[in-house]
Amino acid sequence: MYFFRWEHRVALVLAGGVLLLTTFELIRKRRLREEYSVLWILTAAAILVSGIYPRVLEWVAMKIALHPAVLMTFLCVLFLMAILLHYSVVISKHSEREKGLTQELALLKDEIARLREEVKEARKAPPEPKPRPPALRT
Amino acid sequence: MPQEPNNGRAGRQVDLGGRRALTIIPAYNEADCIQRVIRDLQERAPWTDVLVVNDGSRDATGLRAREAGARVIDLPVNLGIGGAVQTGYRYAREEGYDVAFQFDGDGQHRASRLADLVGPLLAGDADLVIGSRFLAPRGMTARGMRWVGIKILASVISLVLRQRVTDPTSGFRAAGRRAIHLFAAEYPQDYPEPESLVLLRKQGLRVCEVPATIRRRRDGASSIRPLHGAHYMSKVLLAVVMDLVKAPVRLEEEVA
Repeated sequence: MYFFRWEHRVALVLAGGVLLLTTFELIRKRRLREEYSVLWILTAAAILVSGIYPRVLEWVAMKIALHPAVLMTFLCVLFLMAILLHYSVVISKHSEREKGLTQELALLKDEIARLREEVKEARKAPPEPKPRPPALRT
Repeated sequence: MPQEPNNGRAGRQVDLGGRRALTIIPAYNEADCIQRVIRDLQERAPWTDVLVVNDGSRDATGLRAREAGARVIDLPVNLGIGGAVQTGYRYAREEGYDVAFQFDGDGQHRASRLADLVGPLLAGDADLVIGSRFLAPRGMTARGMRWVGIKILASVISLVLRQRVTDPTSGFRAAGRRAIHLFAAEYPQDYPEPESLVLLRKQGLRVCEVPATIRRRRDGASSIRPLHGAHYMSKVLLAVVMDLVKAPVRLEEEVA
């Protein structure tokens, strides 16, 4: 007994093919970085393969006593969760980076202000070497 | 260390033995009390430089702090208490400070008590000194659920650190060079005080507590660390457990 009919297979191949092409096109246009595209390419390839060789999926489904439709749904959810987890990792990386950059920016702005101040002082009274300006003025 | 003018007022003189000290004040919308806090420090602890980290305030916090004569770092966006304090530690590392204090911008900490914190640092007995409200003779300020929460948290932290800690949420602390370098490289974001103790422990740094009385908060509720009982507790405990399993931080350079 086969579950996948040819209409299903055509639909799977089309879906996988379109997803794969879209991913490649986005990379080509530099709108998607390769490092973020790995999971999408894998997903597209998996859909494509299950359209071309649906017997593999049916065999696995039989072995673990699941209806092939349920197996498909389960695999979809698994891929989506993997992609979401990947996003969380990327977001964490970016927020850590953003925090560091924000701090660096604030520290540099302070340093520029201090250097400006020093330059101004030096122009006023050139011969006198100036020590670090005190942080406290009372 | 350059001696700052004392303005004729008697601040307890502290001999840092040539070491330089910085007081880090994270401030978010504290325009109303920041000047009072800075003046308190200038009068009672003139031996420390004052750095206000203005955490993207929407009011005149930065302006008021500059008027009062503090050095001010303006964060262009709000990073939260952890990110603001870490900015101060990065500044302290870059400028080569030997001691860095954490001090609240809302006036609840007493500048006159800063001197109590440096003792164990100078003696080389600790890398971080916590000013504990609960060791002070009449310093108990927390009540009811808040008290229970801090007690539970204190026992968990004590267990993790294998050392008695009474006030893990205290934001009144002094860090030595090793702690400054560690915190500049890595500082927790969400519940920085208790979490940073776990971080110190994992890196093999030493923590100790000294008694410190604090003032009752004059205006506003605790906006920085609201203790929402069970909710707060569970989140801190989860964060602490996660801190325990995290890989240790690799510091760029060894600190003598």
